[in-house]
Amino acid sequence: MKQIEVKNLDFSYDENTHAVKNVSFSIEKGSYTTIIGHNGSGKSTIAKLLIGLLEKNSGEIFVDGLPLTIENLQEIRNKVGIVFQNPDNQFIGSTVRDDIAFGLENHCVEPEKMDEIIMEFAEKVNMVEFLDSEPTKLSGGQKQRVAIAGVLAMAPEIMIFDESTSMLDPQGKNEINEVIRELHTKTKMTLVSITHDIEEVTKSDYVIVMNNGEIVMAGKPEQVMTKEKELFKSNLDLPFSLKMIKELEKNKLKLSHSVTLEGLVDELCQLNSTK
Amino acid sequence: MSIEFNKVSYIYSEKTPFEYAALHDIDLLIKEKKMTAIIGATGSGKSTLVQHLNALLLPSGGKLKVLDFEIVAKEKATNLKALRSHVGLVFQFPEYQLFEETIMKDLCFGPKNFGASDEEAQKKAIHALKLVGLDESYLEKSPLDLSGGQKRRVAIAGILAMEPDILVLDEPTAGLDPQGAVQMMSLFKELNQKYAKTVLVVTHDMEHVLNYCDEVVVMKKGTIYAHTTVKEFFKDTSYLDELHILPPAIVRVRQMLNERGFHLPSDCYDMKQLCSAIAKEVKHHG
Repeated sequence: MKQIEVKNLDFSYDENTHAVKNVSFSIEKGSYTTIIGHNGSGKSTIAKLLIGLLEKNSGEIFVDGLPLTIENLQEIRNKVGIVFQNPDNQFIGSTVRDDIAFGLENHCVEPEKMDEIIMEFAEKVNMVEFLDSEPTKLSGGQKQRVAIAGVLAMAPEIMIFDESTSMLDPQGKNEINEVIRELHTKTKMTLVSITHDIEEVTKSDYVIVMNNGEIVMAGKPEQVMTKEKELFKSNLDLPFSLKMIKELEKNKLKLSHSVTLEGLVDELCQLNSTK
Repeated sequence: MSIEFNKVSYIYSEKTPFEYAALHDIDLLIKEKKMTAIIGATGSGKSTLVQHLNALLLPSGGKLKVLDFEIVAKEKATNLKALRSHVGLVFQFPEYQLFEETIMKDLCFGPKNFGASDEEAQKKAIHALKLVGLDESYLEKSPLDLSGGQKRRVAIAGILAMEPDILVLDEPTAGLDPQGAVQMMSLFKELNQKYAKTVLVVTHDMEHVLNYCDEVVVMKKGTIYAHTTVKEFFKDTSYLDELHILPPAIVRVRQMLNERGFHLPSDCYDMKQLCSAIAKEVKHHG
């Protein structure tokens, strides 16, 4: 089932910056989709259009079959949660607890139920011991986990991560990728991740490649991320495993084109033992 | 003519209730004309350390020698302006600091501050712009009309226009797309090799440490935890685990394969060499 459907979407910030050009795609319910592209390719603009933070010039956006219009905006925003890039720009509460409560209060959740919900989602992102901490005292990764908890508490059906790990150190990055992976495997939530991380793309179900406001490729990572020329044209790169496979093939090894390191290692080990 | 930290400590908001010691007795010798990576978790003191290099921060204790300049804690520092003309510091997200109407004016700002004439400044500006891979057609454009990656190039060119001997970059590739990041790192390597600049890069990206840097300084809680060559650093993966550092992909592959029966050399970081070693082992079994 299609959870998000975008048809001929077009948007420009002003006459000089045509950021999204006649873009069409759909996202399956429960899938993990990555959107990748160079700086300024229109990835984040699409995220903002999907939740109605920007208004399209033309085209259509459907969420769960519901067209995105002024009348439906609130209902659609209830379905879609988004976590942005900069952890410092998305804190409202003076403690972690208050921050997670903020969205719930806006949704008029009864105060008695709130504690339970806050606890549930603080546990999910592993932040229970910090519930009474001040957000400014947290690391970047911790802040992003709180932001994720705050969004999850609103029970969205779709989560969008807009380069949510790009300002974090490696440890923070791992923490967030771990949470995303868990959401992917344990819940049936639809995930959309906008990223520069080619290795993250290889772990997703579906990838959309953007270049100058247009979709240049879309499909399963093993189909898309093997196309070296097209990736280069979009200012991207091959996944590491494929660069290595190219080199191994020069050494007369025959390999399938695994986009993940783990896949490549498995295959090499098999070759090494069965021969 | 190197950089020498001698028991340097730094305390933020000293003698206030918010006092916070960010550096503890740092001893560090950075060799000239090398490219050195500075790594460590958020809050480990990396940015505090590099801001000492052009005297944006003055040590609370100890002393520091940068090129011919000496800065001693509690002593009045002299000649800071001259020091700053030799050490170019590029902050995180430097594109936020572009402010002039045209790129030419923005690039001339630094050299003029250090006493260059209009003509000299413009010459340096044009040269710096070429170094970062942009042509003269950009000179009269507004820096605000550029894409994110281009803005960052211009911001870095603004520092290069001052022709510093030491170039310090705080997370220069954060937020850039993969090709943009590679181009940026290649530029620094070129400045290091072709123009003999001493380059220090604060980074979280281990691929960049491996592919571009000669030495690596690991910071932890305001101290120098390790200082070694890059080749030595990535040899021992258990040490990297201890530091919560995800090794570069080539090191991970080698480690995974060796754990499962391969015997690949632990000092091999070259894709070609590693692949031919893998192929040899596989064929040998055939």
